[in-house]
This record gives sequence, C-alpha cells and structure tokens, in this order.
Amino acid sequence: MSLGRIFWIFFRAGLAFGGGLGILAVLERQVVTRRHIVTREEFLTTYALGRIVPTGTMTAVAVGIGHRLGGFGGTVAALLGLTLPAFVSTVGLTAAYRQLQDTRGFALLSVTLLPAALSLVVAAAVNLARSAIDRRPEMVLAVAALIASLLFHVNPAIILLASGLGGALLLGPPTSA
Amino acid sequence: MTLGQLVGLVLLFNAMTFGNGPVMIPLLRESLVSGRGVLTTDELLYAFTVARITPGPANSYVASIGYMLFGLPGAALCALAVVVPGYLMLPLQYGYGLLRSARAVSGFTRGLIGASVGLIFAASIEMARGSLTTPGSWIVFVLAIVAATVLRWNTLLVLLVPSAIGLMLSALL
Repeated sequence: MSLGRIFWIFFRAGLAFGGGLGILAVLERQVVTRRHIVTREEFLTTYALGRIVPTGTMTAVAVGIGHRLGGFGGTVAALLGLTLPAFVSTVGLTAAYRQLQDTRGFALLSVTLLPAALSLVVAAAVNLARSAIDRRPEMVLAVAALIASLLFHVNPAIILLASGLGGALLLGPPTSA
Repeated sequence: MTLGQLVGLVLLFNAMTFGNGPVMIPLLRESLVSGRGVLTTDELLYAFTVARITPGPANSYVASIGYMLFGLPGAALCALAVVVPGYLMLPLQYGYGLLRSARAVSGFTRGLIGASVGLIFAASIEMARGSLTTPGSWIVFVLAIVAATVLRWNTLLVLLVPSAIGLMLSALL
C-alpha cells in the first residue's frame, strides 16, 4: 500500500473525536469493515498488544498497522497522519487560550460534539464485541476484565496479561471451542 | 526548568502510566504545579480539556503544555516524546508473530481478545461518567447512538445532526 494511502487512512482516524476510542472506531471502520485489510480478530489482537506498550494505545496500534501496510515508512506515515490533526488543533487552541476562555461556545461543546462522539465509541465497542460474543469463554473474560477495570481499577496491562495467561492455560485454538 | 527536563518528565510519566492521561495528570500536577510552580492548575486543566475537545489522541495535551512553557519547539518535542515509545510495538508484534501458531499462544490470544473487549467497554463507561452529566448531553448521546447503530449513518452525520439538535435544545432551555 502506498505511503500516501496509509497517511490518508490514519489522517481520517486522527480527525476522530473522543480520544483513543474514537480513533479506534474510525480505524476499525476503515481497515476492518470497509477495506478488509485486517480481520476483526487481528485488529483486536493489535489493540491488545498496543495496550501493553507503555505509551498511548493508538500510537502503538498505528505503528503496528502502519508497519504491516508499508514497513518502516508505513509507521512514519501512520503516526504523522494520526497525530497531525491533534497537534495542529491543540497548539492552535493553546495559543488562543486567553481569547477563548469563558466564551459560550466553549461550554456548548459538552451538550453537542462530546456526547455525540461518545456514541461512536460505544457503537465501535459493540461492533468489536461481536466477534468475541459468540464464544462463552471470551464473554466471561470480557465481563471479568470490565469489572476488574471499572470497579477495582486494576492496571489494564495486568488485566490483559492475566486474561492471556488464563486463556493459554485453559483454552485451545478457537476451532475447538 | 529546561526543555530537556520537561521532555524527560513527559517520557517518564508516559511510560509509568502506559500513556493513560487521567493517571498522568496528577503526576504532572505534582511536579509542574506544586513542585516547580512553572504552570498553574488552570493552565494544566486547560491543556487537558483542549486535548479532549480537539480531534485525535487525547495525549496531545503534552503538546499544549510544551507550547505553554517553551513555544513551538516545546510542543513538538513533547509530542514526539509520547510517540517514540510506540515503536516498542514492533519487537512485541514480531515476537508474538513467531509464536502465534503454538497452542498455548492461541489460547493466550483468545484471552487477550476477551479482555480487550471488556476493557473497551470499561473505558466507554468511564468516559460516559465524565461527560454525560446533563440531560442535554444524554439526549444528544442517545440520538447519536440510534443514528450510529440502528440507522447506520456515516460518522459525520452521527456527529453533526445530534449536535445540532443539542444546540437547539440548549438555546430553548
């Protein structure tokens, strides 16, 4: 795949609202649902590996998918595309700090774009869950991970490693399930 | 404080928290606001908010902080500091690829997939707690969910139509 194409896919993902999960939603649509570049399972595995890397998850996912699509150049194209919209708009708004503070438009974001962006995140989560949801062990692990993260604030990396180790000990390849 | 020290702090805190913004903010407040007094709490919150309302990765607040303290070079270097560790993904993915056909590893993969679905839902719920605080925001959220899942509208429409309705509601109320 050409570097321009990789840049464009990640640039569109980088324009997503809602932080990492918003980006995940757009990326899932672009590379899994629409273009079938990676399977849903590979996508989720990349996401899981990305969470283990000690930096922003989508940064690591961009490196992982960018490398698959275009080698080292692909990683640079993916990272540039992903971070450019955030960098330009964040630095622009920081420069405009004094002027924007206390304006009404700023407060209106919380009843317009932000909740709408959240819906995209939830829709993506449901979409990704579909591949795991028809197998019982994955379901149980998903619910356990949800509870461990939400109620007990266990570090996501620990949850993933524990769940992976549990799977390695108790589960075989998906076909046997 | 020098630019090098700031970049060092960002690198360290980012690695310690796995790039988790809400966890990193208390660390940055401790060292930049309470410790050295180079930023005010308001400025730190502004950086965090701006990163959340702008598109793209929420960790772009480090660019905002870098800009406040050292201008454009500060913004660029801080942004770079949270991007470069992403390259650890390559050896991780490579090692994983070598092993993936082993039975234990495919079980490990199933465990990872199950847990990552759970973690995505957990993160969604955390975000909903933080941002769905008014009736108006709930209305927009529910409308957008219907548009995205039942009506299957494209992303732009899912964002714009419920937002416009939210805008009208807040003008009426």
